[in-house]
Amino acid sequence: MSDFYQTGNIITLHKLGKPSLERIESELKEFAKQRPIALALPALYTDFTSDAMKGIINELKKAGYIREIVLNLGRASDTEFNQARDFMRQIPYDVKIIHNEGKRIKEVYATLERNGLWAGEDGKGRAAWLAYGYILARGVSDIIALHDCDIATYSREMLARLVYPVANPNIDVVFCKGFYSRVTDRMHGRVTRLLITPLVRSLEKIVGYHPFLVFLDSFRYPLAGEFCMITDLARTNRIPWDWGLEVGVLAEVYRNYSSRRVCQVDIADTYEHKHQPLSPEDASKGLAKMCVDICKSIFRTLAGEGIVFSDNFFKSLEVAYLRLAEDTLVKYEADAAINCLTFDRHEEAKAVESFTNAIKKAAEVYMGNPLTTPLIPNWNRVTSAIPGILEMLKIAVDEDNKI
Amino acid sequence: MENFIEMLSQPLKEFWTGLVSFVPGFTAMFIIIAGGILISYLAKALFVKGLKAANFDSLCDRLGITAVIRKGDVWERPVELFGHIIYWFLIIIFVMIGLNALQIQTIDNLIAQFFVYLPRAFSALLILVIGYVIAGFLSRAILIAAVNNGYHYAKVLAEAVRLLLIVLILAMALEQLQVAPGIVVAAFSIIFSGIVLAIAIAFGVGGIDAAKKIIEKGSDEKKEDKGRDIEHI
Repeated sequence: MSDFYQTGNIITLHKLGKPSLERIESELKEFAKQRPIALALPALYTDFTSDAMKGIINELKKAGYIREIVLNLGRASDTEFNQARDFMRQIPYDVKIIHNEGKRIKEVYATLERNGLWAGEDGKGRAAWLAYGYILARGVSDIIALHDCDIATYSREMLARLVYPVANPNIDVVFCKGFYSRVTDRMHGRVTRLLITPLVRSLEKIVGYHPFLVFLDSFRYPLAGEFCMITDLARTNRIPWDWGLEVGVLAEVYRNYSSRRVCQVDIADTYEHKHQPLSPEDASKGLAKMCVDICKSIFRTLAGEGIVFSDNFFKSLEVAYLRLAEDTLVKYEADAAINCLTFDRHEEAKAVESFTNAIKKAAEVYMGNPLTTPLIPNWNRVTSAIPGILEMLKIAVDEDNKI
Repeated sequence: MENFIEMLSQPLKEFWTGLVSFVPGFTAMFIIIAGGILISYLAKALFVKGLKAANFDSLCDRLGITAVIRKGDVWERPVELFGHIIYWFLIIIFVMIGLNALQIQTIDNLIAQFFVYLPRAFSALLILVIGYVIAGFLSRAILIAAVNNGYHYAKVLAEAVRLLLIVLILAMALEQLQVAPGIVVAAFSIIFSGIVLAIAIAFGVGGIDAAKKIIEKGSDEKKEDKGRDIEHI
């Protein structure tokens, strides 16, 4: 059970006691009549072979307030696409699958590229962006929720709680992010615990008060992949295609909306999904790559806010971060002890070391070329360059989904 | 016996004579078609290269032509598609010319008709392409104007205008192709006047009060203006 402390300058919705799922779902059904809800699912074909996906589908079957599901399927052959489609038929409402490797979608990407609009490399960012595009093209839904397809502890309560703040017209919220604790016999979520929070706080130490840093620090789990938003946001927000997706989305929300209209909601008591290897020796893969991308995204956003970065700044940042991360590590050790959790201090210290290197690497890349941006253009920009692109995307997906 | 041999050899001789007169024509046809395939291929390659240099794909994307092509579930690049069209168009022309070499009356008539029809087909295509672009432009202009004026049904209005224009363009193209011209003109007149009548009735009946208010307001303003005129003694 959560406390009821309001963190930072966004709204925090806690899970207090045992709220009735039936009541939330019945209210959502009513809200959805006025503002239909779409669910975007970025997935790989390999997800379909996991138990997690089977669990997600079983739960989604019962979520009657969802108007449409748009699943963007990556790395799948035509046969695998058909298998995924057969699998998704269990869901009794409108389900469309985007065949990312299909000839039609490839041509949509080619159309973008020849008009100077690059949709980025294959990944969750691009998958989410394309799913939003299809939802916009259909023009049916007013609200879009998104979550990963590798959640082993998925329950439909998670989705209901995620969607509720945006769907409820009495809560004036345009963006809602989920939070949870990732605990099994130990604490997970190293990047959030040991990189983002200490990094943001050390930046606050050096830069001083900055609304974006306060905004970012307000999120209890800024890297949570589960969020819900109004459809307009999908039209105006730019999405990073790299690992900086979650932080980049928050930066765009910060840029476009007041933090009064942003919330985070406790969606699960515990959360378990695929774990990334640390790979400290290679900064181009695993958690190391993810950390570099996240740091770059934060630096770029701050630079956009007028913060001046220099080599000396980064030197101070590395020292400040290291010290703060070590202090944080001690806090988590105590937290683990009182909760009877396993805590491998050496592994955690190695992670901090690896994250320090990631900050250094991100700083080098940023100083090398501060203008490089992994952001996919927003749909408003895309449709102004190619007026028929959404129609094209709709035809491509609809044709792929024809029996 | 001689008669019998004559009866047997006569058809063979006739066949031989026919064959001898047919072979040169057939050979000419074969050479024309084979040469035509080669020329069409080269022309296509040249055409595609030229279009690519002119960034034709991008132009089609921006004008919405690519989106129209995709509606037919065709996923080739516009340049390649137009290249194929040119290729097959030239092949058909060379086949026609080749068939002409056979000197067969029926085919000659067919070919003559084909070449007479060709300009019509070309102008119909031109009408379709230009018409579609204009319809898209006008529809978008109406959408922007209506949205800026705060009309709730701006999108519906823009789509309705686009639909009307497309009906008009299709009728024009079919008329140009001489496909049942009487029926096309009659059908178009009925559909178009039906739509216009429906709109007129809808506006007329639904807008009686609004029109009355506008007229009344106009005359009141005139009266007021008259009242405010300075009268010199």
